[in-house]
Amino acid sequence: MKLRRKLFSSKYPYDCTKSELFLGACRENFDHLITHCEDYSKICRGLGITSSEDISKVEDIPVIPTMLMKQHDFRAGRYMVMATSSGTSGKMSRVRFEFGALWSALKMSLKVTRYHGIISMRPCRYIVMGYKPHRSNKTAVAKTAYLTTFLAPALSRKFILKHTPDGYKPDFESIVEALKKYEKGKAPVRFMGFPSYTFFLFRILEEKGLSFKLPKGSKIMLGGGWKQFYQEAADKETFYKLAKKTLDIEEENIVEFYGAVEHPILYTSCPAHHFHVPVYSNIVIRDPVSLEPLEKGQTGLVNLISPLCKATPILSIMTDDLGILHDGATCPCGVKSPYLEIIGRVAPDDIKTCAAGAADIIKGVKV
Amino acid sequence: MILFDGKTYESSEQDRLLTELKDRIPVILSGKQLSPEVVVDAVDILREDLLKGRFDELLTSFPKDVVATYKKQAEALLSKEHLHKKIATELGDTEEYITDPMDGFSQILVKKMPLGVLFHIAAGNMDFLPAYSLAEGLMTGNINILKLPSADNGLSLKLIMQLIEYRPELKDYIYVFDTASTDIQGMRKMAELSNAISVWGSDMAIEAVRGLAPTGVKIIEWGQKLGFCYISRLDEVKDAKEELEGLAKHIATTKQLLCSSCQVIYLDTENPDELRSFAVRFLPLLEKAANENASEEIGVLARDTLISYTQRLKGYLGEEEKQENVLRGRGVSLILSSDSVLELSPMMCNVLIKPLPRAKAGEVLYESRYHLQTAGLICPDEDRGSLADLFTRCGIIRVTKGSDMSAYFPGECHDGEYALSRYVRIVNVEK
Repeated sequence: MKLRRKLFSSKYPYDCTKSELFLGACRENFDHLITHCEDYSKICRGLGITSSEDISKVEDIPVIPTMLMKQHDFRAGRYMVMATSSGTSGKMSRVRFEFGALWSALKMSLKVTRYHGIISMRPCRYIVMGYKPHRSNKTAVAKTAYLTTFLAPALSRKFILKHTPDGYKPDFESIVEALKKYEKGKAPVRFMGFPSYTFFLFRILEEKGLSFKLPKGSKIMLGGGWKQFYQEAADKETFYKLAKKTLDIEEENIVEFYGAVEHPILYTSCPAHHFHVPVYSNIVIRDPVSLEPLEKGQTGLVNLISPLCKATPILSIMTDDLGILHDGATCPCGVKSPYLEIIGRVAPDDIKTCAAGAADIIKGVKV
Repeated sequence: MILFDGKTYESSEQDRLLTELKDRIPVILSGKQLSPEVVVDAVDILREDLLKGRFDELLTSFPKDVVATYKKQAEALLSKEHLHKKIATELGDTEEYITDPMDGFSQILVKKMPLGVLFHIAAGNMDFLPAYSLAEGLMTGNINILKLPSADNGLSLKLIMQLIEYRPELKDYIYVFDTASTDIQGMRKMAELSNAISVWGSDMAIEAVRGLAPTGVKIIEWGQKLGFCYISRLDEVKDAKEELEGLAKHIATTKQLLCSSCQVIYLDTENPDELRSFAVRFLPLLEKAANENASEEIGVLARDTLISYTQRLKGYLGEEEKQENVLRGRGVSLILSSDSVLELSPMMCNVLIKPLPRAKAGEVLYESRYHLQTAGLICPDEDRGSLADLFTRCGIIRVTKGSDMSAYFPGECHDGEYALSRYVRIVNVEK
């Protein structure tokens, strides 16, 4: 995995000059997967791609939909850590990482977060709008949200979703109590986790007529997807306004992350709220009917490509997201790489088949 | 949202309301009986309001031509006249009568009575199905507990509330819950309140319901079925092109999601070359129909594409779809297979094409006897009768034209039975 090491050692995280190295690292990853993962090689043979010589551009790499990963467990040799997707619709993908992948991911995270000024030595208080880590929870969201609380020294950590005997429950009241306390202190507050819960928190504060002046340098960091709250997501301007109104946090201090357990690349929003594609990945937008690659500026299915991992065939995956890839040259932030805009998700996958009303009930088969 | 006693409640009140319902049921059962006329009246007013455009706002999520078709169907099917005909057809002689005198025996009064409490677990694959299932329960005088499918968009509840608004006496007979399918405790409680459970769904869904139902409760199953189109002597069929276009349109409009939808196209041959040449001829027709009936909503298009692409990859893993011979078009595919098994296709305009010489039909259909429903026919007119006889002898319930596989025919049964007759019991009282 020489080329992967070289790629993830790139100094500038948004270097646009490394496309040849990127393709090389992908072909190297492909050669590994096809010889170590029998299921992957069956699919590649079916699609007519039998060796890395058949791959002349990143679009040629066989695409595995996350929908399939939720139904089929792919294994490709030894691994150190396994993460699962959060299973919004009840099914989960399992992604395994070997040491090299974890090491590469760490290097990437440090470079990206340093570039965006998220790493800081100033101690702060964390409010995690997500899960409190618990041994019964293997979701990547819980792990990453927790890891993010190490990007600046933590004075305290508070979690909005608490593990109770009945599963995870949000606990807004104790967050409100904490905010009252933090407002009087000097340490900045960092919110981290699900945007949807953050939005709800704002709404609750607004309804109760509560507003706080949090210490300077406080940030809101959003990740984990908008999940089923896309309708609300349509109104990001409202989100920014509410952040200012209820917590006194300015728009430029709201940082969004995008990623998926099946594509653990850290996409971090720039000050113009754009997700530029870092050097470690490529994005292809595909036609929603033919799956052919589309030009920039057109809406389609989001195909994410990265040679990060070799213990699971996630070299090129297709998400359930719909998005547009924009030309990055015009972005005022200065990064020239293209940026991804997420438009929404494909229609819910509980398609209405005769068996589907049914599939509902299947969840309860074990009676 | 819960609908109970004509009022709406938060889902969180389910437990309390179910406990209250347990006390209410015996009071209602012992106090009175719902007349079918009340239901017929309410449905008829609903029909009039629908035709006047009162619910147009609720129907904006459907394509315009679909709304027009629904309205046309509602105009005929929800009319008083049709409902009376339905009751007469499905329940036969609803009037009570006294048996003829016979030496040595007493005479008895014979009449049909509601089962009591019906628990409906409706599937979400057909719009309005939950409301329709409930209306059938009402027409037979039952108290109805309805669990909405998770895919329901609020339309069913709205229509049901309308019925109560028109005829408030219906409120004692209608209890709608949006219980999650994972709430086994809740569903079990509903089952325990019922005399019968009417369940729509796959074999697994029905298994699950059998698991949670108390012993003695009657389970009325409307299981998952598989439809196919049988094509014989195509060269001799008058208007063959129109017939094939009709079949393509049927596949494209139902996306093969209904029990009556065409999953497999059987050709009356053993020759694989004939299969291929048929597929080459049919592919552009299917592609055209799919294109004309494609949703304009990108989220739906993308989801359908992802589903069929995922199925395709599963085929390579040896988990589904056989990959011997596939002809692909934009958004459609025809999968040529050498076996004759009747099975579920990958759906979404991905159709299986298989050989089935007439002589082997009996053997193949017997293998699928639990899942038989609709056979569409494309054949010369003189063959229709003999093929229909052959298929119905072997277990098929409906024989239609290729284009009409999912059409509704007034007076038709459902899976070989009349729904209303399954929701009543016959009582005898000695005179």
